Order: sequence, then structure tokens, then C-alpha cells
Amino acid sequence: MSGGLVARLKGPLRQQADFSEVLAGPWTTLSAVELARRPVFLQRDGQTPLGDLFDLKGEPRGQIRFLGDLAMADRLGAGLSEGEVAVEGDVGSEAGLALSGGSLDIDGDAGPRAGAAPPGFKRGMTGGELIVRGSAGGEAGAAMRRGLVVIVKQAGARTGVGMIAGNVVVFGPTGADPGLWAKRGTVIALGRITPPATYVYACTFQPVYLRLLLTRLRIRYGLPVRPRHLNGFYRRYSGDMAELGKGEILAWTAR
Amino acid sequence: MKIRGVFIEDTFAEAFTMRVARIIITGHSSRWVRAAALKLTGFATSVIGCKVEAGVERELHARETPDGRPGTSILLMTMGKDDLAKRLVERIGQTVLTCPTTACYDGLPDAPDRVGVGSALRFFGDGFQMSKVVGGVRFWRIPVMEGEFLVQEKFGMLKGVAGGNFLILARNAEAALGAAEAAADSMASQPGTILPFPGGVVRSGSKVGSLRIKSMIASTNDAYCPTLRAITKTALPESVNSVLEIVVNGVDAPSIASAMRTGIDAACRDGVVAISAGNYGGKLGPHHFHLRQVMEGAGG
Repeated sequence: MSGGLVARLKGPLRQQADFSEVLAGPWTTLSAVELARRPVFLQRDGQTPLGDLFDLKGEPRGQIRFLGDLAMADRLGAGLSEGEVAVEGDVGSEAGLALSGGSLDIDGDAGPRAGAAPPGFKRGMTGGELIVRGSAGGEAGAAMRRGLVVIVKQAGARTGVGMIAGNVVVFGPTGADPGLWAKRGTVIALGRITPPATYVYACTFQPVYLRLLLTRLRIRYGLPVRPRHLNGFYRRYSGDMAELGKGEILAWTAR
Repeated sequence: MKIRGVFIEDTFAEAFTMRVARIIITGHSSRWVRAAALKLTGFATSVIGCKVEAGVERELHARETPDGRPGTSILLMTMGKDDLAKRLVERIGQTVLTCPTTACYDGLPDAPDRVGVGSALRFFGDGFQMSKVVGGVRFWRIPVMEGEFLVQEKFGMLKGVAGGNFLILARNAEAALGAAEAAADSMASQPGTILPFPGGVVRSGSKVGSLRIKSMIASTNDAYCPTLRAITKTALPESVNSVLEIVVNGVDAPSIASAMRTGIDAACRDGVVAISAGNYGGKLGPHHFHLRQVMEGAGG
């Protein structure tokens, strides 16, 4: 991403910070000054404007790039509904919580529950695209209703737990119990995965729609999609049979 | 005007506005893409009898298709909006859904008018179908015995142009056929156009209505039938013994003009006496392609 707003962290975050209101709702037409007024909630020091923590420069044009160590920044991109958000580094927990549109592209690791539903809510993401170029903690994409979560390295336990629809793509190994209690939706595993006992093997085939999805990920985000992913075979597991059973895990296989 | 000794008559082709959709079919190999395309575009020469006009626009390399497999681009045209949706669902449902390995996509993503195709075909999945949104576009995965049929939910629709044409007036049947083949070959890869008739060529050009039967909307173009020269008001020069017509449809008038220019140029060869065109006096179709203007690089 080039252009747009650049938000550079002034100094290291020394306490957990809640960014849930920074990009929630419309933001793409706000100026740097206006966006700097949005609140961040610090665990010890309480509410503070974003502008106290970051230098914001540039014109929004629907894009913002966060620079600095944001490993203690929780809920970054929560409620995002528009625009392109890039983060150069790691983020804390619940990044992209209840994403409904736009894209959140994290060039590092994400903590637990990236792209998940807010606690107590039945639905998580309802749209948008969350890209984690590193690893993600547990329960990424929990209860997602629509949209896309991509994890390039390792995905934690219970990825896609309670999915209602949408896609989760994991390039690396996927942790225990992926797609547990999913009604619908697809967990696509390009690396190692062990489906839960409540998923049932159906067949090994070549889903054409994966060629569309993976080609888009390669072109749009430059993700490491290989010819073997496009031309390969996938083991389809239907589940969660403890729920509706209309979900699936598509696990790449070398046959 | 003459091109290589072939007289270009001072007349025009009269064409009509039709609704057009562009269908992209992909498949495991060119064999299955062609198999589906052949069936999809079958019995689709003229709206007079077929309800649709369709043809292959061009073959697509794997790098040009949405899923990176070999493909083909097809234009399908009808007279009305509602009709287009019906025909797309019928034809894709019967000829692409049924064909091994194929998938079917919209080729007019920027067209503001959209018609539901996958949204209707999904019911074949009997509740087992799955919807997937990729890049903001919805697709349907319909389970079939082979695996899955993937089809885009909605297809774009534009106002296209149908009935661009020219007539090859030749000394004999062999010369007419050779010129028509050369014309059709040269026009085959013209972007944005199709030649809906067999091999791109029509031998039975028609006039509006009938001299004898009131209920007929079209009948043989007797003025251009060499065998009727002595008993009808002929339009044929003395030396002409065979006439073939090239009909071209397209997404817009410039595409048709460009294809006509290419085709007429290829048709101007030994044995061809003149190039003419079919029209209805300019009263029926809004698009007039004046042959001489077309050949001068204008027109349409």
C-alpha cells in the first residue's frame, strides 16, 4: 500500500491498548487531524486520543498504514467497514473483530481471536478481508458469517470455531479443532490439519472455486500461492456434524 | 468504389439493437471448453427461429480466465432484457452445467444491468449448493456427480448490435464460397463480435414478410436468388450466379464496422463481382453501416 494516511507510533506501547473505536464506522473520508481525535483506551492510563500515541500524516484516500510495534494493541481494525488498513508488524488480540468490510492486512503475527465475534455476540465478521501474514492465535474467524480470513503461517487452536459462513485460508499448520461447531463456511488448509472428530471425510477433488480464491490472494495480496495449491487435490471433510453439517474443511493433499 | 476489382455498392447494412451477455466458459482442457461452447451456441443463428443469437467470440488462454484454465468467450443476444435472463439460465443449465469440468463466469463485469443466472441454477443443488463470495462477487458451487459446477450468480447485460451484414455477389458458387470462407476466417477473432450462422456464413438471406403468406415474418430474399432472376425483380448483376451473406453481431457498432471492414477486404478476390448489403430501407434498424464509409475507415 502506498499513499493514504500513515500512522507512526511515537513511542513504544508499554501497556495493553484497546483500538476498537479507531477504525469502527466511517473513517475513509476523515482527515489526519479528525482521525487523531478518535479514542484509544489504555489499560492503566485510560482514554487518550490516537494523536497522542501516533504521528498521523498524509491524506486518507481510503487507506491507512500503521507503523511501530503494536503487539500490545488489541482490537485494531475492530468494526472496520471500509477502506484498506495495513499494519507493519505484530498486533495484539482480536484484530479485525467483527469486520464487516474493507481489508485489514497485518504484516506480522496476530494475537488470539483475530476476525472473531465480540464476546457475547452470535455473529463475527460479516464481510471484508483479514490477512495475517504471520501466525494467528486461537479462534481466528470465530463465528464469522461472511468474509475472508487468511493466515499465512500458523493458525492457533479452534480456528473458525462456530463459523456460520465465509472462508478461512491457512497456508501453514492449523491448530487443534478447526471449524469446531461450524454450521457452514469453509476452512481451507494448505498445510497440516487434523479435522475434528465431528467432521466426516467426503471425497478428494479439485474445487474450481479455490482456483478463483487463491488466484485472487496471489494477485491482490501477493500471497505465496503455489501451482500445487491451484492444481492440486483437496480432501473434503463435511461438518460440524454436531451442528448443521453444511460446513467443510478442504485440506490440500499431495495425493 | 472498387477493391481489387470488386465493386462496392453504394448501400448500407441495417442492424438492430439487441441485449447481449458475454459468457466465459472454462474447463480442464480445450476439448471440454469447446464441447460446452458448441452446445451452448447451437441452434442460435437468428432470433426469428431460435429466440437467441450466439457465437464464440474467441478462445481464451488460461492466463486470461478467472480460474486460470483454458476458456472461451461467447456472446449471446436476445431482443429483450427478460428474454436474456431466461435464455442464459436455459442454455447454461443444459449445456455448461452438464459438461464435465466446466465453470461459467460473467464476461461483462462492468455492465450495470445484471441478470440472475447462478442464482437460478443453484436450485439444481437441491439445498446442497454453497454460495461463495470472492472479491465481492458471488458464485455458486453446485454439487454434481463429477464434483462441483461453479457458476457466477449474476451476469452483465449490455445493449448490443445485431444484423451487421454484407453480401458477396460472385460469378459462381465456388467463388462465393471461397470468398465467404476467407471473410469468415478473417473476422473470427475480431474482438467484441460473433458470426452466429454456420461457419459464419448465410446462404438463405431473408426479406421482411412474404409475398404470399401474411403470417410469415421472413421469407427468401428473392431479389438476390440467382435462380429467380427471370421471374422476380432481381438485384443481381448479369454475371452473378451465387450469393452468400456474412452476418455479424457485436457489443457495439464500432466493433461491427471493424469486423465488416476486415471481412469485406478478405472477400474481395477473384470471382467476386460485387459486395452489397441487406437493409430494409433504413426504417427498421437504428444502426446503418454504409459499405463505402466502412471501407474508408468510418461508418457504424
